[in-house]
Amino acid sequence: MKTDASQSSASDEQLVEAARQGDMGAFEELVARHRDKIYARAFSMMRNEDEAVDLSQEAWVQSWQRLNQFHGESSFGTWVTRIVINLCLDQLRKRKRQRTESIEEMDEETGGVERQMPAVTVNPTERLERGELRKKIDAALEKLSHEHRTVLVLHEFEDLEYKEIARTMDCSIGTVMSRLFYARRKMAALLADLKTEELR
Amino acid sequence: MNEEAQFKLQAYLDGELPAGESAGVQEWLARDPEARALLAELQNTNAALAGHEAEVKLPETRDFFWSKIEREIGRQSVAATAPSRKSFWARWGWRGLVPAGGFAAVCLLALHLANPGAASAEFVPELELASDDMGAYTYRNQEDGLTMIWLYDRSSAAQSAQSSTPAILASK
Repeated sequence: MKTDASQSSASDEQLVEAARQGDMGAFEELVARHRDKIYARAFSMMRNEDEAVDLSQEAWVQSWQRLNQFHGESSFGTWVTRIVINLCLDQLRKRKRQRTESIEEMDEETGGVERQMPAVTVNPTERLERGELRKKIDAALEKLSHEHRTVLVLHEFEDLEYKEIARTMDCSIGTVMSRLFYARRKMAALLADLKTEELR
Repeated sequence: MNEEAQFKLQAYLDGELPAGESAGVQEWLARDPEARALLAELQNTNAALAGHEAEVKLPETRDFFWSKIEREIGRQSVAATAPSRKSFWARWGWRGLVPAGGFAAVCLLALHLANPGAASAEFVPELELASDDMGAYTYRNQEDGLTMIWLYDRSSAAQSAQSSTPAILASK
């Protein structure tokens, strides 16, 4: 069903209300408005295009089924983002159960190399162009573990507080603080092009 | 600097420090260059990340992506409304088979016990249950000619002590 002009100009709240009444055209418009944001969040967590597409599609199906549970405490886009984040975390947990514990995983809580690393004193991103900086950040995020990347994404990009992250990731606030601290330290090293071998 | 101090510094940066502790951290920062250096690194990393998330777009056209969502919504709503054979058996079939199977087993045993030849001292009743969902324990007291059978639902075995149904059959 193609969206008409009135749907294009309607607010998210109006579209949600229409979708609740069963208007698929209104829901299609909501998907069109927010699909890139939802996909981007799934991709930032999964780092895999196919998985991110599948999980964002699943998030949209679930949001349709749960429309009656959306009461407008947050924006509609934020609400669907929370759904896709939870789906990604479920997927990452499944994946983690299937793999054996590695040295890298043991380092996630205790910091590994970053624990002894001296502070990076120069700002490594100061002179970079915006596009260049984005690429560099993306490449650095790619090198983080899932746990470190997730906590950084939730704190820096979703602006969640420690307690909200703890609830979302089903862990303690202390674990969130630890993961966030070492994730930041690793990012600092990666952005400064320091190799972890050089830090040993 | 220990971990606790590092995490406190981070909480200060994130505005997550408990009320009243900020002044203490500021004093500590004023006298500790190592703490100042670490705080500067954390601030630089935050500043680099702020507003610089890579811009990625869904690699599918609007129509194609929507068609998949629409199809899945349709498929799930059909599945939710259509009564399936499996759900019928799950709801009614097995619920009926368990007591029926139990009844059949008790009748079989009763037939055996009614046969005087079978009620010898060596006779050990053997139960064949009609349903895998059901289990049974038997006890035979030869002196009193008493046989007791406990039937229970395997799916709620943890509650068997409360929920099992003893069938007491007396025979001489």
